[in-house]
Amino acid sequence: MSLATITRHGPEISDAIVSFDPVTLQRKPVKKADVLAQFRELRNHEAVKIVEQMPEQNGVLDPAVVDKILITSHCEMQRMSEEFQHGKRVSELLKPILNALREGGVNNPIRIVDIGCGTGFVIRWLAASGSLGDDVQLMGVDFNVALLNEAQRLATIENLRCKFEVANAFRLDEPATVFISTGILHHFRDEGLSYLLQQHCRAETCAFVHFDFHSSPMAPLGSWLFHAVRMREPLAKHDGVLSAVRAHKSRYLLEVTRSAAPEFVSAIYGTRLWRMPIPRVFHSLVGVRPKYHEAFLRNMGTRVASLGKIE
Amino acid sequence: MIPVFLWVLATIDSAFIGYREAGGRNALIDKRAYYRHALIRGAVVGQVAVLIVGATTAIILASSNDSVALFSKLESVGARMLTVYVPYAVILLITFLIRSVPSVDIRSITSTVIFGPFTLIRPIVVLAGAVWGVLAAPGAITIALTTLIVCLMLGLSGILSWLRSRRLIS
Repeated sequence: MSLATITRHGPEISDAIVSFDPVTLQRKPVKKADVLAQFRELRNHEAVKIVEQMPEQNGVLDPAVVDKILITSHCEMQRMSEEFQHGKRVSELLKPILNALREGGVNNPIRIVDIGCGTGFVIRWLAASGSLGDDVQLMGVDFNVALLNEAQRLATIENLRCKFEVANAFRLDEPATVFISTGILHHFRDEGLSYLLQQHCRAETCAFVHFDFHSSPMAPLGSWLFHAVRMREPLAKHDGVLSAVRAHKSRYLLEVTRSAAPEFVSAIYGTRLWRMPIPRVFHSLVGVRPKYHEAFLRNMGTRVASLGKIE
Repeated sequence: MIPVFLWVLATIDSAFIGYREAGGRNALIDKRAYYRHALIRGAVVGQVAVLIVGATTAIILASSNDSVALFSKLESVGARMLTVYVPYAVILLITFLIRSVPSVDIRSITSTVIFGPFTLIRPIVVLAGAVWGVLAAPGAITIALTTLIVCLMLGLSGILSWLRSRRLIS
């Protein structure tokens, strides 16, 4: 991976090499030639080189190999999440939200659903920490069976109280009280992002917290640096840098959220550090139903300083 | 004392090489034992590297006509190397102390400002220390020994990865 990745635009390789039917969630075959043509058209030669190395069967990318690469990449991403204390970061923001929901008399249990959880690091970390309370159910959903099997395998080894399901997060039998995600938002553009946020508007959902790369002039370079020194898998290096490049601006995220999910009051948390113009790696899009708004702000304590204007 | 200081630094450095090499390969949440083993493994493999350098130095000294003068030369090279490596190590150790503060933001910033960039520049620091050291007493022996040290310092991670690829470590 070179610094040239910083000048690239989407899609990421991990978006292009897998495909799922949005209704049946069945995996669809992906033709290697189509993926290569797509990246050649974008003049993304690094992506072409990486995809060229992937084996095919009758012109279709070998799903087993693709899954293996994705699992390895997620494992490497988890290392970065651990270094940047992401589990604790999520927990620290969820606690005031959950306390606000409890004070507002939300129905038990409180279900936290991690959208596109991959190998489930955040859900497993939250389960291992036990920091959110016994009235909380933790669940990770994703379309990729292999990633979820890995998440479940890891959770079983450590005897963690959480579950994983191949499902559409918005069509669960037991709906989510709080939706969370990490590094998902930038995969959705324009109408796709708007549609994703619209889906939060269901009676049972009381709040959402979506973490993603914070878009700043330094972010692509910083991301390149960290992916260069911490990652080994070429796909993870490429996509990691591209993620920072494709990150949505805070203002844009808020505009789309307020228009797509008007039932919630929303804000961006953690754009700046200690009220100073120090950019952060991640920021988060936070939304709560107005009913819980005041309690949420009160429970945030000193952290409220890192919360943008909520409306 | 200079060889002792170099040995201490080599041991700490190789322990962290072991840690970095193990990073991103285990997706469990509680990895304390895993990383403890990785640190020890790195330090142990580092001792093999130290032994190679030590044995080579001993052979060179034994076959020298003036071993006292040569030892003094090598010490001056080592002392100059320390002037580069010690500040690098001290900054990292101070950063570890700062990271012990239980704050997500402070811990993250230690990574973005120090740990990440310092990992990136480590090969440059290794080379800079070696060149700076050799300049104290340029000669075929000091260049050869320093080159051996640089190769071992920069190659240790590759050696560990090779051992892993052969399933000799997990």
